[in-house]
Amino acid sequence: MNNSSSRFKALNQYGIFLAFALICIALALSTPRFFTVPNLMIIGTQVSINALLAFGVTFVIITGGIDLSLGSMVAVAGVTAAMFAHPDTYPLLVPLLTGLAAGVLFGAFNGFVIIKSKVPPFIVTLGTMTIGRGLALILSKGRPVSNLSDTFNFIGGGNVFGIPFPIIILIIAFIVCSVILNKTVLGRYMYAVGGNEQAARASGINVSNVKMWVYTLCGLLSAVGGILLTSRITTGQPNAGAGFELDAIAAAIIGGTSTSGGTGTMTGTLIGALLIGVISNSLDLLNVTSYYQQVVMGIIIIGAVVLDSMGKKDH
Amino acid sequence: MKYFLLTALTLAIAGCNQSQKSEGGDDGSGKKLVVGATMLSMQNEFIVNVSDEMNAKAKELGIELITVDAERSALKQVEQVESFIAQGVDAIIMNPCEVEASSPAVKLAMDANIPIINVNSETSAKPTAFVGSDDTESARIAMEYLAEKLGGKGNVLIMHGFMGQAAQIKRDNGAKEILKANPGMQLLAEQTGEWDRAKAMSLMENWIQSYGAKINAVFAHNDEMGMGAVKALEAAGLKDRVIVVSVDAIPDALQSVKKGTLNATIFQNAQEQGGKAIETAVKAAKKEKFEKQVLIPFQLVTKENVGEYLK
Repeated sequence: MNNSSSRFKALNQYGIFLAFALICIALALSTPRFFTVPNLMIIGTQVSINALLAFGVTFVIITGGIDLSLGSMVAVAGVTAAMFAHPDTYPLLVPLLTGLAAGVLFGAFNGFVIIKSKVPPFIVTLGTMTIGRGLALILSKGRPVSNLSDTFNFIGGGNVFGIPFPIIILIIAFIVCSVILNKTVLGRYMYAVGGNEQAARASGINVSNVKMWVYTLCGLLSAVGGILLTSRITTGQPNAGAGFELDAIAAAIIGGTSTSGGTGTMTGTLIGALLIGVISNSLDLLNVTSYYQQVVMGIIIIGAVVLDSMGKKDH
Repeated sequence: MKYFLLTALTLAIAGCNQSQKSEGGDDGSGKKLVVGATMLSMQNEFIVNVSDEMNAKAKELGIELITVDAERSALKQVEQVESFIAQGVDAIIMNPCEVEASSPAVKLAMDANIPIINVNSETSAKPTAFVGSDDTESARIAMEYLAEKLGGKGNVLIMHGFMGQAAQIKRDNGAKEILKANPGMQLLAEQTGEWDRAKAMSLMENWIQSYGAKINAVFAHNDEMGMGAVKALEAAGLKDRVIVVSVDAIPDALQSVKKGTLNATIFQNAQEQGGKAIETAVKAAKKEKFEKQVLIPFQLVTKENVGEYLK
């Protein structure tokens, strides 16, 4: 990490934070309902799934990789959990563990193929994205898996002390992911691998191990997202999560994670996800048609990447 | 700083909208009635037609209508209904994405004591009212038309919508009912075309490869797929030997019926559905008497009567 890039990182972080604050103020002024507790709770809940996926893909992008199979992992984990979540069949722990296990296995498979085949992650995960979609359809026989127990549906729909459960999961995940990235050897190795893989290898870092970890973590976080989603819509849908990978990658990029690897923070990603959530929520409140919403979102993504490349010119 | 521009843009869009607000219409206390509507997909012509009519009716009655697009995602739909509840709208109109997965939205609205009206498609949870057509009937009309044209004998292919959606399940049930009643009609194959013209075209091309001259008729769950099937059959030079019927009566399909390429379509009245949905929502919000189930009948459109539907 040299001086100019860390200075740039600060600028980009600061920029995104400023933009987020400005947009929030603008929206609070133009829609009186924006800054109400129920609406903020809704934004938090709506952001939770995308943020979980975005945390996972932030790890991956920091190491210089990419994961396009997030949405399919959401579907596989969600359908798997739903299959074990019918009332009066298994205790709640069973659907949770099987769903998480499905995501971990899927993520580990991504990591394994990427390490062993030397094929670029973009291509590997493009393949596993399709495989995953097929698996979700096979598991569910193409039909939504419904009739889930009330305890399972609580995960996505319930409140604890007035705070929606998905927000609590989001906060826990954010803390855990931040600690992994900032306070552990593994986190430091992630930056090293993404910054310069050859140098990392030369300095004795087990690059394959680091990659295995990030793709597995990404699978685990996608599974958490998939279980939340399934619980929120009380159905395990084989076609759920389609396109989620793009929103998650967008959140990471808007939050200052560089697609060339080596830079990125969990705080930035969280703000990126919040920014996306706030904009779509408030444009809904303002009754702006979804057609315009998509244009706005695209402009924001490109704007963030323009900033990112301005930073690269310093090198 | 790019972000200033973005903020300006957001504000500009907000500004455009402030000026579009309509006037009038109240719930008796001098406050304007607000209805929130979440639609399955604003990239689907039929749904856009329903939505347009809802807007026209809302203007006519002088109420404020907020329309949002669920983009085919049940999760998004549930979240949008949560937003409407938080905003304190007077009534909600939902055009459900899925039977089961959109049900939590109905429950949320019911718990919040806000009337929720399902339009065009159903959920397993019972809403305040339903406005739409009985999809089973559309498939019955279509299959009966095929049975009549084939003299009760022949090989039929069925193209399904998205598996698990109410329209797909009901159209499947209706079609199978008529197939059962006509033992001479064989179901050759069935597969989803996901409501999509291009996907349906590929599917039809594959079927032509597999079954070729054995195919006598195709029933597609919607016009988009029906048109895809027609295209593939024309390209293979088989259209004259195969009868195709589909559901919705979108303008494209009506033109095709007029030309005689698509044999028949089933007219589902988008205008009537949109208008009645708004009327029912307003009545429910004002605590007036309303019908819990407004069923708008389907009509068979063939070359003989297509003129009545072409605007």
